Amino acid sequence: MIALLFTEFTKAARRTRTLIITVMLVGLPTLILFAIHARADRPADNPNGEGLFRLASQSGLLVPAPVLSVMSGFLLVVIAGTIAADSVAGDAAWGNLRYLLLRPVPRGRLLVAKAVVAGVLIWACTVLVSAAALVGGLLLFGAHPVTFPGVARFAGGFHLDEGALLLRNAVATAYVAFGYTALLALGTLFSTLTDTATSAIGATVGVYVVSQILDGIGQLGQIRYAFPTHYLSAWRAMFVENRYPTDMLVGLAVQVAYLIVFGAAAIVWFQRKDIRS
Amino acid sequence: MNESIVAVEGLWKQFGEVNAVEDLSFSVERGQVCGLLGPNGAGKTTTLRVLMGLERPSRGSAHLFGERVVPSSRLLVRVGAMVEQAAFVPHLSGHTNLRLWWEAGGTSMKDADVDGALAIAGLGDALHRKVRTYSQGMKQRLGFARLLLGRPELLVLDEPTNGLDPGEIREIRELILRLAQQGATVLLSSHHLSEVEQTCSEVFVMNRGRLVAAGTVSQLIGSAGSVYVEVDDRERARSVLAGLAGVHAVATQGDGLVVDLDNGRRSDLAAAIVGAGLRLETIMPTQQLEDAFLHLLEGPADGAGPAAEAKTPPQP
Repeated sequence: MIALLFTEFTKAARRTRTLIITVMLVGLPTLILFAIHARADRPADNPNGEGLFRLASQSGLLVPAPVLSVMSGFLLVVIAGTIAADSVAGDAAWGNLRYLLLRPVPRGRLLVAKAVVAGVLIWACTVLVSAAALVGGLLLFGAHPVTFPGVARFAGGFHLDEGALLLRNAVATAYVAFGYTALLALGTLFSTLTDTATSAIGATVGVYVVSQILDGIGQLGQIRYAFPTHYLSAWRAMFVENRYPTDMLVGLAVQVAYLIVFGAAAIVWFQRKDIRS
Repeated sequence: MNESIVAVEGLWKQFGEVNAVEDLSFSVERGQVCGLLGPNGAGKTTTLRVLMGLERPSRGSAHLFGERVVPSSRLLVRVGAMVEQAAFVPHLSGHTNLRLWWEAGGTSMKDADVDGALAIAGLGDALHRKVRTYSQGMKQRLGFARLLLGRPELLVLDEPTNGLDPGEIREIRELILRLAQQGATVLLSSHHLSEVEQTCSEVFVMNRGRLVAAGTVSQLIGSAGSVYVEVDDRERARSVLAGLAGVHAVATQGDGLVVDLDNGRRSDLAAAIVGAGLRLETIMPTQQLEDAFLHLLEGPADGAGPAAEAKTPPQP
């Protein structure tokens, strides 16, 4: 298994695409950071609301939160979907999948190795965004405690020191990364269903986009709670309402459920599939 | 006693309503160089994919080294295969591709006889270039290096000379023969008749998923076929050969004679001519493998041949 993981990781890490993603995931937080810096002394557009962006200029330790907030909803979804959905279909598109399976390696083990490497890369991408925002934020704004103003209907004002901010950043980053577990499972499944990487990527990201759209329709009621994107932003309550919401635990459970169902489906399908590419 | 390295028994492979392979049976003994010959779409590649565990048979079975083939079988470590064109991870070098592919099976490069395989690839410094910069011929040669890693006992080659120039085709042909002389068993699929004729000792001819003939090249061409003979005294030779057992008819053609054989052998003709004190200039079959192949593909007119209706596999 170690050899398989090493093989798959080498293949993924040495792609030009990986370099481009890395540059993008460091560059975009930097741009956001400069935007925060440029608007730091301007009056709020909405005097009744003090969003994370406005507060971020108080301390570099708070910068990862707004950066994750804007990047986790779409860009990281696209990147995570690409990594997951390309895992098998990419090899198939190169015509290399059949040669991989000419080694005496159980198909289930190969698929798990590919999914693990994809998962590690997705986590690395999320951590990279958070780390780039943190490092940039510290350089630009320094490390200070932050006083959060009260948010109508939710909570009164509260104060977070440097340690608490760091901890909550770490929890938020881990939660966002784990929030792509369903995406990883779906992407891996779609990757086994087609020999065209772009089709698998399109299907994976498409499911998330549809999930986000449907999640916004309140009339759908409780069914929305089962959508993979429903609890994706639950972590924001740590910075807005000063609490660790139970929604985060439910969100983790939903992700695990998707992993079990679609991960198992991917393994079963891949083991029975005729390899023609 | 002969040992079947490859055995296919009553194999069917269906894709929807289409029978890619129909009731196919054949075997390859240790040390043989066998050709799987057929036009495009004959079912050759599907058969090889089933043999490699890449596809599951709809019915029937495939065995390697006496064991039934299953996906990811441990027997694959004894097989070197090239299924359709050689393909690699394009953004990695040739050398890295070989290393990662070999190590993915949990085997060490120390056991791979890398130097021998790389010598065959003959890629020199290009081995450290990214594969996406390779020509098709270079990829095929790297593919040969990959399939030779670990000195496999059985080589399964699907159209191995596709995309190669004549010089490279000759190199590959010589390589296959050399490996066979060293003890490897070879199953080679091709629609290039000359490739099979010059390389294989045994031939299985497939058409529309079915086995339509099997035997040695000379058996397929037919010992009962016609032979063209040139001698120094044509008329005397005619009378000698006309009275020979196994000869059906003798006719003049150009500077020589065409001898129709019933069950006689070319060697008997040659012996009779030389024995009569004649000088034998030329003796060769008038029918080449190509003629035999085309005849087999046309099939008998009773509908039992390749043009017959598709069947469905028998139910268990």
